[in-house]
Amino acid sequence: MRKHLGLGALAVTSAMLLVGCSSGGGGGTSAPEASEGGGTGGSGAEIVVWTDAEREQAIADAAVAFEEETGATVTLVAKNFEDLRNDFLAQVPTGEGPDITVGAHDWLGALVTAGVVNTVDLGEKAANFEQVAIDAMTYEGQLYALPYSLEAMALIQNTALVGEEAPATWDEMIQKGLAAGTERPVVLNTGSEVGDAYTMYGLQTSFGAPVFVQDESGSYTSELGMGGPEGEAFAQWLHGNGTAGTGYIPTTVNYDINIELFTSGQTPYTIQGPWAINAFADAGVDVAVNPIPSAGGETAAPFVGVQGFYLSSQSENALLATDFLVNYLATEDAQRALYEADPRIPAYSTLAEEVAEDPIIAGFLASAQNGVPMPSIPEMGSVWEFWNSAQSQILNGADPVSTWNKMVTDVEAEVGA
Amino acid sequence: MMSTNPVLSTSTEPKRPSPDIPSRPSVSDRSRARRGRWLAEVGWKYPVAILIVAYAVFPLLYVLSAALRPGGRLAGSSALFSALDFGNFAALLETPYWRWGFNSLVIAGITSIGTVLMGAAAAYAFSRFRFSGRRASLTGLLLIQMFPQTVAFVAIFLMLLALGDAVPALAINSKIALICVYLGGALGANTFLMYGFFNSIPNELDESAKIDGASHAQIFWRIIMPLVTPVLAVVGLLGFISAFNEFILARIVLVSQGNWTLAVGMYAWVSNELNSNWGLFAAGAVIASIPLLALFLSLQRYIVGGLTAGSVKG
Amino acid sequence: MTVQEDARSRSATRGDGPPERESHARGWRGLGWGFLVKLLLMALVNAIGLSVILGAVRSESWFILGAAIVLLVATDVIYFTKRALPLKYMAPGLIFLLVFQIFSLVYTGYVAFTNYGSGHSGSQAQAVQAALIQAEQRVPDSPSYPLSVVSRGDELGFAIADSDGDVRVGTELEPLSVQPDAEVGGAGAPTEVPGWTVIPRAEVLTDTELQQRVTALRVPVSDDPEEGSIRTRDGTSGAVYLSSLDWDPDTETLTETATGKVYSASDRGSFVAEDGSSLPAGWSVPVGFENFVRAFTDTNYAAPLLQVTVWTFAFAILTTLSSFGLGLLLAIIYNDSRVRGRKLIRTLFILPYAFPVFMSALLWRGMLNPEFGIVNDLLFFGADLNWFQDPTLARFAVLWVNLWLSFPYWFLVCTGALQALPADTLEAAEIDGAGRFRRFRSIMLPLLLVSTAPLAIASFAFSFNNFTLIYLLTGGGPNFAGSTSQLGATDLLINAVYQISGVSGGSSDYGLASALSIIIFIVIGAISAVAFRQTRKLEEMQ
Repeated sequence: MRKHLGLGALAVTSAMLLVGCSSGGGGGTSAPEASEGGGTGGSGAEIVVWTDAEREQAIADAAVAFEEETGATVTLVAKNFEDLRNDFLAQVPTGEGPDITVGAHDWLGALVTAGVVNTVDLGEKAANFEQVAIDAMTYEGQLYALPYSLEAMALIQNTALVGEEAPATWDEMIQKGLAAGTERPVVLNTGSEVGDAYTMYGLQTSFGAPVFVQDESGSYTSELGMGGPEGEAFAQWLHGNGTAGTGYIPTTVNYDINIELFTSGQTPYTIQGPWAINAFADAGVDVAVNPIPSAGGETAAPFVGVQGFYLSSQSENALLATDFLVNYLATEDAQRALYEADPRIPAYSTLAEEVAEDPIIAGFLASAQNGVPMPSIPEMGSVWEFWNSAQSQILNGADPVSTWNKMVTDVEAEVGA
Repeated sequence: MMSTNPVLSTSTEPKRPSPDIPSRPSVSDRSRARRGRWLAEVGWKYPVAILIVAYAVFPLLYVLSAALRPGGRLAGSSALFSALDFGNFAALLETPYWRWGFNSLVIAGITSIGTVLMGAAAAYAFSRFRFSGRRASLTGLLLIQMFPQTVAFVAIFLMLLALGDAVPALAINSKIALICVYLGGALGANTFLMYGFFNSIPNELDESAKIDGASHAQIFWRIIMPLVTPVLAVVGLLGFISAFNEFILARIVLVSQGNWTLAVGMYAWVSNELNSNWGLFAAGAVIASIPLLALFLSLQRYIVGGLTAGSVKG
Repeated sequence: MTVQEDARSRSATRGDGPPERESHARGWRGLGWGFLVKLLLMALVNAIGLSVILGAVRSESWFILGAAIVLLVATDVIYFTKRALPLKYMAPGLIFLLVFQIFSLVYTGYVAFTNYGSGHSGSQAQAVQAALIQAEQRVPDSPSYPLSVVSRGDELGFAIADSDGDVRVGTELEPLSVQPDAEVGGAGAPTEVPGWTVIPRAEVLTDTELQQRVTALRVPVSDDPEEGSIRTRDGTSGAVYLSSLDWDPDTETLTETATGKVYSASDRGSFVAEDGSSLPAGWSVPVGFENFVRAFTDTNYAAPLLQVTVWTFAFAILTTLSSFGLGLLLAIIYNDSRVRGRKLIRTLFILPYAFPVFMSALLWRGMLNPEFGIVNDLLFFGADLNWFQDPTLARFAVLWVNLWLSFPYWFLVCTGALQALPADTLEAAEIDGAGRFRRFRSIMLPLLLVSTAPLAIASFAFSFNNFTLIYLLTGGGPNFAGSTSQLGATDLLINAVYQISGVSGGSSDYGLASALSIIIFIVIGAISAVAFRQTRKLEEMQ
């Protein structure tokens, strides 16, 4: 018997030991929790809020007053913004998801289809928010989130190189850019080879080729607007500015390179969103922000993205969570804190007016006012893939018309399916 | 049965690992050798080393360069070391970096020890015992490792969810749960590495010890384990590094920021292109590589010092 | 060598044979404490096992209970009886393997037979809940009323202060009616209602059970259901809502109140009306072999998938060979005591391995940028090589980067494995005057392969499924020109699964992804099993 000393036993238990130690510890803390549930009211209720790191502090500040007044606890879980959507989709149905999550409006279609979001009733408070933000968070007539910020890309120029005045057209911008004598007249994100239809969208719409046709109320239909002569004209234009033409739009530029080129003064113009402003300020570059110039004659309408707070459909504390959203986060103070944490355009109207005194925010706001909300239908995820890739191929010299039309057919098949 | 083995019973002394005299040319031999021969046999190894080091290290200079540049980016500029600023390192103090580092060390350390112990035990069984289903289990072990993990995260999440109800220590957001998930892979490729190594230890050693009355556990702990130190060190290092840098499972299991590992936390700094902080990340990555390199340096003695200890004659 | 093999097989028969004689011979005494340690450890294991069992009983997790009992009994049997000697050594690892790996494998297998994915992720009850949430709308332009939650015995109700200053009270069954003597507080909400207890806001908000009842409560405005009912979202204000759907649990149907259109539960996990329209949220149901059938019959993907498969094999084989080759070569070259500074050289060699893969992939992506990257600038003198647009270059880049990432692993493994080579055999060969290369080929390599071949197979399998590298380095691109798919020249099968199942786009089909994963697993498993048989022959050759 003693010969069969278990080394194995040692291994199993050394691992199990850990389990044991901590289950002792864990058990210790979980036991009171369990009894709390059975107890009378008190301070047992907890809401879990998923946030990205940027917004964490602002939400925590809003939660302080809430916790004091209601006796509930707000637990913040910081996650990567990227992960929020998929984790929310996967975890809410298991009952383990959060009560509230931060999110972008273009997730809405997928969230509604999965049945993981609850409606939000802002009541009279809805009037305090920019209409475009409320519209973006509305899906089939129901509001699903409390918006807090909106963003749109805009033309950013280095005032030391080309002054304050905004070019009205792409050609004018190129002329001024060339006159500035920098290495390149303009730099645009192309996602280093992946393609970046999001950045290009303002230019695309200036040719009158929106991704989906909008009905008179402004909501998107599933009818594609990119086909036809308008779309082909845009494709031709892309081709003419790619490697086969002027070369003004190389496919090698990603976000980081863009920032690097702009801050080092190698280009006077770029198209960027509000998130890039801090990088420019850090580098000490003076910038002016204006609406995107038109390349095809019509007004350039970039995508407007809206961020907000979604409420889980499986929340066990729906009242509490709604109370937190509507009565604590939908206030000017909380919205201000959110704005200060990450300076995008506030969705809260009075705040937006206030910060619009800042010419940079005013520039983004002006661009956003030309813009249209990004479609939030669930199929959008697969549209990007085809769309980006086609643009990248055309910029690299592929035949513009046939490549573009192929993309349109592929997307139609995908959306129709 | 064993007493009928004449070959093995000839040896009565238990064989202990004896440090053999290195079977290499001594210093005096080499000094006598012609310079040309030195070049042909040894000298060329230095330029080759420089070449390989350049290949291995050059890309990492970018990381160091980015760490030393305020607002540093990984790509975008080919100018290396355009600034020497320790701001990013100082900024790490204001982040939970050190806490994540501690978590990483604990998780990777325990995982690595567990992997070595379990893997060595299993390798011993496969190498020394013949039992039915041995081949099949070996093959099975290998095959299980090949399952594509892309969708497995759903399963792992659900499992920890269920387990957490019964065993609070194994719930979502528990470091122990993550260690257990990692240990689930302990019998993977590592077992094979050890298995091959164990096979190279002559069986006569066990046999003679057995005749002297040693139990299988004693043979394992006192004869085999000391002889396989090099492979234990290799497996320990591999296990440590892979747990240290793993972030896909860790991201799912560890929910709250305070419990994150370095890989999860640092991934968060750069996962969003628009808010990425490569300077901070690079500084963190440079510091994070130090424990791994220190571990390697300290284990090297066992890994290659085994040159003599491992060469036991049969 | 054959002597050793013989000895090994002899010891095998002994393992199952009668217990050894108790001859406490020289040098093996003094381990009596071992038994104590074993007892202690087993006591601990049993204590933990029992606490798991109790926990499972408490939480009514019957599956876990069963598994825990089986595992605990098995552990005790293994360690307290003399049977199953090998299991004593394998049990710890096996238990973790069973619980944490096999489970996810089996579960993925289960998912492959369902339509689990976006739109079909929860239970039917959740789908009904979602449908009702989405159908219940606040009456347009209706005002919000200050509201209090009131109770009468077990019965819950709402008291609202309407615009005329009247307090109205109602319950689920009784429509709102005016309560004359009620009082209204500073916030405008009723504070005292005769015959009812007003529940303070703090209590409503912090008692989860009460909260759920309040959330679910609808108080009809009048006897006419068309006028809607009062509902509160935050416990302090109420408004009139109307639902456009009615749920009938008996027939499992949702009926549109305005049109009478009936959506019934289909066996596909959705609510479908007779005209074919369906509600957005569905639930997950078993669909049999459908996912597998789709995987094989979707002609959209047939052609590109073939290319992807060929590349996946090429990548896995080439990357294993190249990194194994380089690692082995370096290990042999620097396993030489005459080389000074080996410690430093070795440490620098493994540097790439000390950094997280996601960083390295993004790093190389930047370095390979055709216009701004250092690779073109420095190594190709500014040539305009577009590493991510040309399929051949992109594939080469992937192999090159993966070589950089993985040769340190092989260097480490081979350095370790070299120590296992019997020095005397090598010496003997040296004395025989065998040439260096011959010595390497006919003695060293076969010996090394015995221990490393299984690792090479594992590495092959890992490369086969190396999703992260491809995803972060090339994103699978460049896309195949002229095909209706989002697949590209550097996509591995596993990346293709990710694309096809839509996990990347947010509208994911995990059922299909799981089915494809299983198909890949079977393919790679079969190949590896065959390869593994070869290594067995290799071993027997020794």
